[in-house]
Amino acid sequence: MRAVSAPLDFLKIFAAQLRGAGIEFAITSGMACVHYGLQQTTKDSDWIIPHEDLDKLRAMFVRLEGELPPWRVSYRQICGAPLDAEWMQHGWTSHLSIWDTAGSVEHKVDIFSKPPRVKPEEMSVDPDGWVSRHVVAQMKKTDRDKDWPIVDGLGRWLWGKRIETGLLHITDLAELRAAWNQAAPPARERMAVRRPLLRLLAQEPPVSDAELRLMVALERMVWERVNEKRHSRFTRSWRHFYRAWRREENWRWPTEEPFERQHQRLAQAAHRHALPANPLAEISREELVGAAVQELRSGDRFSEKDIAAVLPPVAELLP
Amino acid sequence: MKFRVVPAEPDTPMPEEYYEVLERTMGEEAAAWSRLPREEREKELRWYHENFFTSDDLAVWPPELGDPSKVPEE
Repeated sequence: MRAVSAPLDFLKIFAAQLRGAGIEFAITSGMACVHYGLQQTTKDSDWIIPHEDLDKLRAMFVRLEGELPPWRVSYRQICGAPLDAEWMQHGWTSHLSIWDTAGSVEHKVDIFSKPPRVKPEEMSVDPDGWVSRHVVAQMKKTDRDKDWPIVDGLGRWLWGKRIETGLLHITDLAELRAAWNQAAPPARERMAVRRPLLRLLAQEPPVSDAELRLMVALERMVWERVNEKRHSRFTRSWRHFYRAWRREENWRWPTEEPFERQHQRLAQAAHRHALPANPLAEISREELVGAAVQELRSGDRFSEKDIAAVLPPVAELLP
Repeated sequence: MKFRVVPAEPDTPMPEEYYEVLERTMGEEAAAWSRLPREEREKELRWYHENFFTSDDLAVWPPELGDPSKVPEE
């Protein structure tokens, strides 16, 4: 039964290969949540690899495909860009399947070079390559309901160790109030700049639980709407590209070819059918956030004042 | 992008309140698993992988890109 127990082993195998090839990496998302005791169910792995190292990564795949026993590496048939700095440095993800032995299960490996909502200067990893809880929490501020308890759990752990970025992620009302009361004034100020909702906790008379709950929910909606606005530009671009590409004669994807040949096919097709390197190039970050806020004003009818009270700075939402 | 390497965070138990909130937000089973030391957590996970088909990500859409049903049609 070795093959099915492989997901946790594969992390170590792949990390060792990256390390040996001199490629910088961080393990993030689901597997990081498993590592931190907050998620039991994932088998796929998500890796942050700087775009400067992607040429080395592809060379590593070529080498591993030529070794005995050979690895097999393939693109997957889902929304994803070529594993190339041209696209990846702008926020695309690339989705691969890897078989590290002939009898291996398929390992689904997702690569990020510019992870969403993460400030480059905050990218920190431990010596084994696990990305910090703060980075995982930022990446988990998605549209999925199941991610938000994880964000809260990561935030509470951080604050439990008195790491001030925990204040950015806690959503449980009692825990949030307690953390705020325990925080020193300079930490409060630093974190309130990044998370304006925290300023409500300093109000006199204290804001009620009902009001705070509403504002925490509104803040989450801001993250969700901004994420929708951001990623829909990627998905629309990819759909447009994919529809044009699949109309080509004898099209099929992914092919059974070695990875580098697959990569050339995908990159050439991406150029031929104008898959934009940066789908966000034609809109400023401020406009994108503005469009998300506009939806909250009109569709959800939140007041200007309430939105302003929780709206994180653009540099937090779209670093 | 250059990553800053920091010491590994020790897997020390958290105060009971931490797990109580997890129980409320993520469920009893997830909280019970979270209470285990890391080695025990991984051992349990391996057992599940060995004894059940637990493919969790059958969606063709990567979760980090958000909910595909919310992607507007062109």
